[in-house]
Amino acid sequence: MKKFKERLGRLTPGKAVIGLLFTWFILTCIVIPVVNLLGTVFFADGGFSLEPIQKLLRSKKAMSSLKNSFILAPTLSITVGFVGISLVLITEYFDVKGANILRLGYMTTLIYGGIILVSGYKFIYGANGFLTNILAGIFPGFNQNWFQGFWAVLFVMTFSCTSNHMIFLRNAMRSVDFQTVEAARNMGASQFTILRRVVLPVLLPSLFAVTILTFITGLSAMSAPLLVGGTGFQTINPMIKTFADTQNSKDLAALLSLVLGIATMILLFIMTQIEKKGHYMSVSKVKTKIVKQKITNPVVNVLVHVYAYVLFAIYVLPVILIVLFSFTSSKNIATRTLDFSSFSLENYRYLLSNTSNYKPFVVSIVYSALAAVVVGAIVVAACRIIQKSKNSLSSGLLEYSLMIPWLLPTTLIALALMMLYNQRHWYMFNQVLTGTMVILLIGYVVIKLPFTMRMTKAAFFGLDNALEDASHNLGAGEWYTFRRVIFPSILPTVMAIAALNFNGLLGDYDMSIFLYHPLNKTLGVQIKSLTDESTNPNNTALTFVYAVLLMIISAIVLYLVYGRGSQDNTTSKLTKG
Amino acid sequence: MKKLVALLVGISMIFCAALALAEATGADVKGTGETLTIYTNSGDSGRSDWLKERAAQDGFDVVILEEGAGAVQQRLIGEAANPIADVVYGLNAIIWNDLIARDILVPYDAPSWASEVSEGLNDPDGYYYAIVKQAILLVYDSNQVSAEEAPKDWTDLWENEALHGKYRVETSLTGGTTRNVIAGILCRYLDENGELGVSDEGWAAIEAFFQNGVPAESGVNLYQEMIAPNKPTLMGQMWSSGVVQYDAEYGTTSGIVVPEVGVPYAVEGIGIINGTKKMDEALRFIEWFGSAQIQGEWAERFGTMPANELAADKADATQRELCSIPTQDIDWAVVAENIDDWCEKITLEYMQ
Repeated sequence: MKKFKERLGRLTPGKAVIGLLFTWFILTCIVIPVVNLLGTVFFADGGFSLEPIQKLLRSKKAMSSLKNSFILAPTLSITVGFVGISLVLITEYFDVKGANILRLGYMTTLIYGGIILVSGYKFIYGANGFLTNILAGIFPGFNQNWFQGFWAVLFVMTFSCTSNHMIFLRNAMRSVDFQTVEAARNMGASQFTILRRVVLPVLLPSLFAVTILTFITGLSAMSAPLLVGGTGFQTINPMIKTFADTQNSKDLAALLSLVLGIATMILLFIMTQIEKKGHYMSVSKVKTKIVKQKITNPVVNVLVHVYAYVLFAIYVLPVILIVLFSFTSSKNIATRTLDFSSFSLENYRYLLSNTSNYKPFVVSIVYSALAAVVVGAIVVAACRIIQKSKNSLSSGLLEYSLMIPWLLPTTLIALALMMLYNQRHWYMFNQVLTGTMVILLIGYVVIKLPFTMRMTKAAFFGLDNALEDASHNLGAGEWYTFRRVIFPSILPTVMAIAALNFNGLLGDYDMSIFLYHPLNKTLGVQIKSLTDESTNPNNTALTFVYAVLLMIISAIVLYLVYGRGSQDNTTSKLTKG
Repeated sequence: MKKLVALLVGISMIFCAALALAEATGADVKGTGETLTIYTNSGDSGRSDWLKERAAQDGFDVVILEEGAGAVQQRLIGEAANPIADVVYGLNAIIWNDLIARDILVPYDAPSWASEVSEGLNDPDGYYYAIVKQAILLVYDSNQVSAEEAPKDWTDLWENEALHGKYRVETSLTGGTTRNVIAGILCRYLDENGELGVSDEGWAAIEAFFQNGVPAESGVNLYQEMIAPNKPTLMGQMWSSGVVQYDAEYGTTSGIVVPEVGVPYAVEGIGIINGTKKMDEALRFIEWFGSAQIQGEWAERFGTMPANELAADKADATQRELCSIPTQDIDWAVVAENIDDWCEKITLEYMQ
């Protein structure tokens, strides 16, 4: 009690207001909608029943899908971790010829994903794919459908889920201090020892964070199992999606996603505990930029180069094929025949000549940008609070409540918001939100909270406390320190996250479909309706065209974020030179 | 003679009076310009743009929200407490009946064109009236399957072993066409004492249907599967206007299975949302939109099959032929009540 009073005494009006704001936001935008939805789905007939659980336990398909998801997630964490780390080492640490080109290739996963990405892989490895045809030419009787099942899913996802590594692990690599590396080498440490004892520890906080993300991606895998899993390897998320879309099966969807969500939370909790124990800061206070390390062993050097360029091919080929196929027809896509004489701009003309097709681009760009900024601001504030009051109950509560959206699929979160705010509630100032422009923004912000939270927190963990202390010692106030010292050092990560959120929301369908305003259709909804197979037989080709347009926008956004960074690099090189 | 003249005068006076009293009907109705919010799943491929412009010519101001049928349904349910939409058109009998059961629609007096609609398509209680019909068919690629080898009914797919592994089954049961197919199969086995109203025989049939089919490839449509080399799929479900469009796109010639019991029809209708504040304008719009004139223009433009028989000649010839297949007798109210549970059971227990 005394302690509580002491704390209360330290509470400034500013802190009280921020505390109130967070409490209100978390309750009205996350907790109440979710609890309300779970209430309606589980207590639909007036009482709680165990029937949904029994239904799932009886279903062989549900159980095997669930099992597959739990096999995929940890396996993927390992394979993606391996590939992801090697990408970062190839582009940032070792002296590999053509690293700039390689980096561009490795970053292609940042501009596309989902069904389109997996389709790209199928053009190469699937039946009648390029590689498949070559193999079939060499080995007569080669099984055209060889690329199917667990290994195919693992392969596609291993290479497509390295986006976070390419951003966050690369950022972390930049804070490896070169002088420490040099010192270690002078003391006779081998290249491998330096890697393990000097470089890896600095990468650990980011590695933890991206591994959690990979695990979650694995658990909620959707496109890859659907397209290349075959009947042998289906995961649980497609089933969740189907049930979430069905009025009377929402209880099953909620139940299944809670199983995944709880697994995620347990993992998060364990990772957070490990994180708290260790202190992974590099000891150096004056960091020098890393100089690329030449691989001393010539054989290893050649092998690394071969490995780097094979990876490059794996990453780049699907993108090239998607772009090429976007100029053809659905028929060409179905039969996997690239006939250059049949190339035409017809698909592009169809999309771009329709005047109503422009507006959704604008609407989605505005919504995504707003949401990326709002979610970034909320999370940075939250992380600052958590950083300042480590281990207190309120900070733990704050952190985990912002993770709640990971517990439910997007569809259900959209429905939760829609169902709650179609009526007036005092805590939402007696406003009906359903059918207004605001509700979609809230939805976008909510679904991006957990990812943003996890990655921003990692950036805060990577901060050197000495900087803050120094600022305080020099007499700088709290706000000044944050604005001039802390924020600039986390800005690159915050910007990167914002760019990823923007790109992710740009083509969103699951949230938009329920919440968009009739006058402002979003891009995802527009794509879906234009490419809906029930109305347009050429839908597959149009999907590819849209994918290409989305890739272009995403690439521009990434350039705006990273283009600046690379300019900084050149200036520093110039001054050094 | 005098009497006759008097009679004629009398009749013509009544006639004139009636003309003066009667309001304009059908496409002659003009809107007042009051904004109507319309939800539909049939607004793509330029439909909503066309409708907005065409309606504006006759004085209607409409805002159209287009989504998949299931999403429209969920949105209407979610917004029930404070409805945003005034009118909804499109959908299918299953969803219409669900919306009626949830009290989301209001019944309204039959528009003048209701009597021109093919029999059995309008809702008997006046909650919705039909505008477009779509036959839900079992089709095969006639380049690869001869008429003799082809199934004669859906039941052949699992009863005739030669067809095993040659037809496509959907992996997600949320689509309207898929649900019509399931309804068309299960409603043959209705049994009040059976699980979810279906006899054991029915469940065995649907299990065999899913077990012996080729699961659909995600993101790939039936026709792409049929023409793809190394793909065993040769037949599957398709809606009638899709047959015409896909054959043109992929250069296929679809064979059509005509079962003795007939085929399910997905009926697109038009209804008014319970709680609309613009009832009069909504009624005027419906009177206008469903008229033979507007539905005929719609059919010409988008290749649909109008439910309004006076507009039928505006539809594409193949389409007309496909939609002349007899209607399967299906109790849509029973289907609407059970379809979610049926699909749930199938997804959990029978899918590969």
